[in-house]
Amino acid sequence: MEVRIIHFYPDLMNLYGSRGNVLALERYLRQLDCDVTVEAVVPGGGADFTRGDFFCMGAGTERAARAAMEDLGRFAGQLKAAAQDNAAMLFAGTAMDLLGQTVREADGSAYDALGLASFVTEHGKKRIVEDVYGHTDLYPEAVVGFMNKCGTVTGVEMPLLTKLDLGFGNERERGAEGFHWKNVFASQLTGPLLVKNPKLLETVAAAIYARRGKPLPVDRPVDRWAQAAYAVTEEQLRLRSQAK
Amino acid sequence: MRKFLAIVVCKLGRFVGKLIGKGSSMPGKFALKICPDILRRVELPRHILAVTGSNGKTSTVEMIAAILRADGKTVVYNEEGSNQTEGVVTLVLTHATLGGTVKADVLLIESDERYAARTFQYFHPTEFVVTNLYRDQLTRNGHPESVYDAILPALHPETTLLLNADDPLSSCFAQGRERVKWFGLDHCSIDLDAPSGVYHDGTYCPLCHGPMEYDYVHYNHIGAYRCGKCGHKKPSTDYTVTAVDLENAQVTIDGETNIALAFRSIYNIYNILAAYAACRECGVSGETAAAVLSHYLLKNGRMQTFHLGAHHGTLLTSKHENSIAYDTNLRYIASSERDCAVLVIVDAVSRKYFTSETSWLWDIDFDQLNVPHVKRVILSGRYCNDLAERFSYTEVDRWSVEPDIAAAASELKNNGDEELFVVTCFADRDKILCRVEKEA
Repeated sequence: MEVRIIHFYPDLMNLYGSRGNVLALERYLRQLDCDVTVEAVVPGGGADFTRGDFFCMGAGTERAARAAMEDLGRFAGQLKAAAQDNAAMLFAGTAMDLLGQTVREADGSAYDALGLASFVTEHGKKRIVEDVYGHTDLYPEAVVGFMNKCGTVTGVEMPLLTKLDLGFGNERERGAEGFHWKNVFASQLTGPLLVKNPKLLETVAAAIYARRGKPLPVDRPVDRWAQAAYAVTEEQLRLRSQAK
Repeated sequence: MRKFLAIVVCKLGRFVGKLIGKGSSMPGKFALKICPDILRRVELPRHILAVTGSNGKTSTVEMIAAILRADGKTVVYNEEGSNQTEGVVTLVLTHATLGGTVKADVLLIESDERYAARTFQYFHPTEFVVTNLYRDQLTRNGHPESVYDAILPALHPETTLLLNADDPLSSCFAQGRERVKWFGLDHCSIDLDAPSGVYHDGTYCPLCHGPMEYDYVHYNHIGAYRCGKCGHKKPSTDYTVTAVDLENAQVTIDGETNIALAFRSIYNIYNILAAYAACRECGVSGETAAAVLSHYLLKNGRMQTFHLGAHHGTLLTSKHENSIAYDTNLRYIASSERDCAVLVIVDAVSRKYFTSETSWLWDIDFDQLNVPHVKRVILSGRYCNDLAERFSYTEVDRWSVEPDIAAAASELKNNGDEELFVVTCFADRDKILCRVEKEA
């Protein structure tokens, strides 16, 4: 199966090792014998959206996200159509903000985002940096990660993480986090969350397969280091959340 | 009265703290409770020199103090590295008379980036050195631009800034200011043609996000940048390393002052240059500065050599959560020519706070170890699996995992005689140093 990954602004939106998400998905799909192409979109550049299976963007600084949005706006229609057509997407960190209606910055200025979802983001002066331990309705295992943001997201009807035991959600401490609609996955969890959460990697890959009307192959690669790393972090964060 | 009480409490607290081995921030904390604006009420030396930045603060401050003292100046500075506001209050008050006068020629302050605005709320430095600003401890700091925003209010219009001309981000502090002096490196022998590393923070201009180009790069994205859109570019420098001769461990400043390097690292060169520039601004001659800086060995022991079995070893202390610090040490290993083994330890991500965050491993260019003379790499510590996962995405193939640090040390002790490099952080270095025979 041929899979085309469209990676938005890899140099602009690449804080906290976000590139790890693309590397992890690419390798996982290759191990499933997919023929994977990764196409980077740079500001002012283009991409063949009609053939995109997976669209993703990583975290950037708030200024970088605004600069990214200035370019991304021209793709709004195509991205919405792709999402409606069940294309898989992962927008992580500040990239999640860009899926909503508007982003209001700490200085009071605001800009329009893609409008793919109905939520709005408001940045503040306070930085929220903390480990996250949460749960999704997509699978039973806990989700682990790190939050590094400076604002709140309001109006999310379908969160990706329905419950947090540790960390700040979209609007409040331990509240629901992220956004999930059709095959669009979004979270303000930063960094390589597909590396840190092998089950989420499998879920995203399954979404790509599902759009092609196929289930994930039964024989799937097991990444022993990723599994072992997840086990250590899961235990550390679970104990931490229980101690709080 | 409150001023007097705050000073007495601080001095007493520091005295007791030293007896029981406690850190130096608590007395300042008490003093601030008694008198929140105590730093406004004390009489400070004529020269107040502050240093902040992502990397090199402690080393630069230590070298500045040594030069100023060699020049006959009395210097008060936070030698213990307590660089948040409370630590600075402790420093100032313990060196003040009961009347609140700090009797010294220079007050030298290493300042934490995020606390600088609070520390300099009631007084401002005469000279402020910003060493650089890039990805560092993001679990605490957010990201480099949020650190930039945190430092900006700390920069008083009357303060002379000493800025790194080669750093596209911290050089933006000069915007709209007149009192700026620049330090930087000319095109030199160690340069690269384009930014290095696995992420490219130099791709876009920090001012306008237009594409940037580089004439040359000293490391990562530090070099001669210029933005094609708004014109932001490396300015001409007031204090310049004009030549680098790593083979003979020597740099030349301003074409005439030669300084012998005790440690051949690009970091060391920048720290030396920043210290040189700061001291020249305080009226020290180039000769005096150069005499102190030549062969200067830092007290904080970031380069510890040792023996482990038949191995001669070097500890390259690399701040966890700081990919550039790791990259610089990996570059050092790659540039060494003898066969070697490398032990990478990530056991506690931070010694100061809890986190399981390992994203920063993805910002490190571990592929630098993919050279023939690196014979094996051992990954150890609680987060060895995260390291292994990261290594599984590199071209390096001679790596193995030993979670237990003692077992990793034992395995090395009993096998092989190649040079050994240990790459780890302050948080974890004693876990290996307690198992080796240190060299003096």
